[in-house]
Amino acid sequence: MLPELSHEEILHYSRHLLIPEVGLEGQRKLKNSSALIVGTGGLGSPVALYLAAAGVGRIGLVDYDVVEPSNLQRQVIHGTSTVGKLKVDSAKEKLQDLNPDIQIDIYNEPFTSANAMRIAKDYDVLIDGTDNFPTRYLTNDVCVFLGKPNIYGSIFRFDGQLSVFYAKEGPCYRCLFPEPPPPGLIPSCAEGGVLGILPGTIGTLQATEALKVLLGIGEPMIGKLLLYNALDMSFDFVNLKKNPKCRVCGPNADIKELIDYEEFCGVPGHDHEDGSAGAGLDISALDLKNRLSPAGNSKLILLDVREPHELQISALPNAINIPLGQLAARLAELDSADDMVIFCKAGTRSARALELLVSAGFKKVKNLKGGINAWAMDVDQSLPIY
Amino acid sequence: MAIVRFPALMKFYVDNQSEFSAAGSTVRELLDNIVVRYPTLKTHLFDSNGGLRRYFNIFVNGIHIRELNGMDSPLNENDKIILMASAAGG
Repeated sequence: MLPELSHEEILHYSRHLLIPEVGLEGQRKLKNSSALIVGTGGLGSPVALYLAAAGVGRIGLVDYDVVEPSNLQRQVIHGTSTVGKLKVDSAKEKLQDLNPDIQIDIYNEPFTSANAMRIAKDYDVLIDGTDNFPTRYLTNDVCVFLGKPNIYGSIFRFDGQLSVFYAKEGPCYRCLFPEPPPPGLIPSCAEGGVLGILPGTIGTLQATEALKVLLGIGEPMIGKLLLYNALDMSFDFVNLKKNPKCRVCGPNADIKELIDYEEFCGVPGHDHEDGSAGAGLDISALDLKNRLSPAGNSKLILLDVREPHELQISALPNAINIPLGQLAARLAELDSADDMVIFCKAGTRSARALELLVSAGFKKVKNLKGGINAWAMDVDQSLPIY
Repeated sequence: MAIVRFPALMKFYVDNQSEFSAAGSTVRELLDNIVVRYPTLKTHLFDSNGGLRRYFNIFVNGIHIRELNGMDSPLNENDKIILMASAAGG
């Protein structure tokens, strides 16, 4: 039995009721349906806003971050008034204002192998709005094991991807990506940046696919993948089939339960940069300042591995700039006998540069922990943090 | 010549192009030709056994090469090849 709509709800959803594919019955279906949105960031923001406005009866939000100023360029569910608040609280406040007739369940915790099945089991669809590979593989496997559609979207700079992975009727995420890329190959949005509108484009398409699946209308993107490029304004569609060798949904699947996804991917289940190269390989901004002082080591080489355009935001005097992507090819410009401190924005790229230099025989290299942002915070407040 | 679309996050290795033309009568030949033109790509595209790395997908005219003949899939003039890598951002 589908729930009835009140007169107030009928007025609220009037524009839906006028569409024959939705109509009164469709709107009652939506009221009876539920969606779990994993991540309340760039993608999760438009997904949550539009699903709430559309009247999906129960929306779950999973996130454990707090709203930061650098989120607001794209995470439009949050605002300056909620900076510092939990993202799930900030989002719930906005959604309830948008639609007080729906239920919002919040999960202020990381989505992990320990809690994912419990959180996801009572939702009709999951929406992948995560920002890292471990949580994407986890979301996929949860959907396969629970038999639920995974409304997938991902973004990088100007490129977006969209699909509906639904192992009952088509391929899953692992059919397409059996293995994650090696740690560090694919930059996150925190490292590489993203056009603020891009998650809006992909997120609203995810919301559209979620509504189609919940209503049972149209042709959801099962077995199809959209590759969108905002610079070219190109939309390429490709066909996807089940991978017979898929380890979670193939005929000989050997992964039968959730695994340790951080171990599988070799990276943490978040895209926060901890800025460390590991024990004994870091130098703090304050220690670097002391070493650069007249009494310190004047032969210290500073190697900036950021992209040239980032130097316009902040820079350290006398640093050599070799972007990480060019470092392997430009090693001859450096002397392995030199004392060297490598830095980037926040310490992630420089930690990888350090690995590369150490494997090339450099022994006297350190990573500036927290990058030039840490320098801006602890040493030179005239520099901006970005 | 086939038209090749390249993932944005690998554009650095191909002179910042998202699309270019390349020759090859099979997917393997096409990739080999691309690697000759852009040598730093090699370790990103291929593993030590010369196989395509598993986080890449290749589509010929919208069809995954797994559904065709893998790396030996034949190519024709003006075929559209999409190289696709996973992205995690959200």
